[in-house]
Amino acid sequence: MSARTLVEDLVYRGCLYLDARDFDGFLGLCDPEFRYTVRTFSPEIRQEMIWLDHDLAGLALLFRNLPRHNSDHALLSRHVTLYTVDAGQGSSRAEAVSGLQVFRTTLDGGSTSLFAVGKLYDTVKVEGDQARLLRRIVKLDTRMLGIGSHIPL
Amino acid sequence: MSRTAAQWAAPPTLPATHFVDTRLYTDEGLFREEQEKIFRRTWILACHESELAQAYDYRTFRHPAGPSLIVVRGDDGVVRAFYNVCPHRGNVILCDPAGSARAMTCIFHSWTFDSRGNCTGISRRKEGYQDRLGACDVGLCSVRCAIGCGGFVWVNLDDGAPSLSEFIGDALGSVAPHLQEPMEVFHYQRVSVRTNFKLWHDTNSEFYHDYMHYFNRVTGMRQPGYFARKYELFPNGHASVGSMQVQYDSYEGSGARAIGWSGLAPGGWLLVDVFPGMTFNLRTSVLRVDTAIPIGPNELVIELRGLGLKKDTADERAARIRDHNAIWGPFGRNLHEDLLGVQGQGAAMSDETTGAKWVLHGREEGSTIHDEVGMRHYYAEWGKRMGRVASDPFGDRIESS
Repeated sequence: MSARTLVEDLVYRGCLYLDARDFDGFLGLCDPEFRYTVRTFSPEIRQEMIWLDHDLAGLALLFRNLPRHNSDHALLSRHVTLYTVDAGQGSSRAEAVSGLQVFRTTLDGGSTSLFAVGKLYDTVKVEGDQARLLRRIVKLDTRMLGIGSHIPL
Repeated sequence: MSRTAAQWAAPPTLPATHFVDTRLYTDEGLFREEQEKIFRRTWILACHESELAQAYDYRTFRHPAGPSLIVVRGDDGVVRAFYNVCPHRGNVILCDPAGSARAMTCIFHSWTFDSRGNCTGISRRKEGYQDRLGACDVGLCSVRCAIGCGGFVWVNLDDGAPSLSEFIGDALGSVAPHLQEPMEVFHYQRVSVRTNFKLWHDTNSEFYHDYMHYFNRVTGMRQPGYFARKYELFPNGHASVGSMQVQYDSYEGSGARAIGWSGLAPGGWLLVDVFPGMTFNLRTSVLRVDTAIPIGPNELVIELRGLGLKKDTADERAARIRDHNAIWGPFGRNLHEDLLGVQGQGAAMSDETTGAKWVLHGREEGSTIHDEVGMRHYYAEWGKRMGRVASDPFGDRIESS
């Protein structure tokens, strides 16, 4: 399989896991060295902000603690389009950029609204026919996220 | 025992100071009156001076009373505020939330203004106005502006209102010693939520809702000192809450806070609510400051700022950002829960036929942490300014009123 196909499968599968709140499934796609960050630029204070930043263990703990908290249970649906995959010849790393749209559907199914727009910048470890997420940076264009979310995008 | 609709609508059997008519949160007319009688006449926190670090730096600010303002640092270093309106044809002058502009130019007809509000250019003035109107006749409309309480920029639309220091009084006394060092905003976020601004301020004014926050229950409520925290009330509707030592490591994965704050005891937490919708929340390593900007009776924008010390090393700043995000970021544990709570109130109250008729502020526990005295104090000030009683604002629900 080509690197692009492997990366495509990884990125899309990750979205399906997160949409389904199958957090173990998502973590299973990640390398032990995985790091996840949500960033956005604030024109108000004219600087880049970090809104969430975890290594694999931190992310796993975040998921594990979720049932202890009061969270919005509306569904989040990730719509991702993989734009580019750059992998050097024989390299075990691939850099992927995807467009990200997240929709929020109310629990009664009555309305779906756009929750956030941004891009995914993924670094993927590719070994043979296996691909693992090594780094994910979510760069958000949307900075007003309503009441927010306990679940990463 | 459940109640009938008539019983549900009957006033609570508490003193009238201990509950509020929910129309305070839904009535369009009351909201417009609040804009006029409260927001137009009180000091409102517009930004922090670190957002205007250099001469000509500006911020635009949507004032809760309605108008758009420009806050700008002048060529002389003085921070001033103006209505963001061109005196020519009423267009907005600056559209970006922040920037730097030696000349502020209205794009419509290229009239220009300097950082002191003077008009510096009228396109083809001589040809059109001859000697009938000059730049000195069309300066910007200034707004009272003061810097205080840790370098925050405050504005007041009422030229006759008491000064900022008179308005704040001693309310920020508990946090003031910790706001002496220069600070910087590292987190800026606007939240849009369908609720009333007072419900958000209520949430900041009572800690009984710690039951909603697992994080606060395990790191605070179950720890020594929590129930000894006391409210202190100040003139003009402000209130503060005393500190305790928060046990951050009681939340799995949290660990103790790696850094603290100048002069604040380890794990310390101070909070001051400023009437009508601002909160200073100094929690161990981060200062969070909220400004409520109501758009309508059930529509609120909250500006949330996270601040660290200007002298922070890169590692210290990173630690503050981590601490901030864990509970107060858009994906943090507590902010989301607080917003869920007030959004739920907004949703339930928006239907006047079935929603709550009254909100209770009746807990009395010697002004300690679960006492609702902070909210009672707020609504006493609200009543004074509005010329109404919060438990019966229209005089039609309580027989004795």
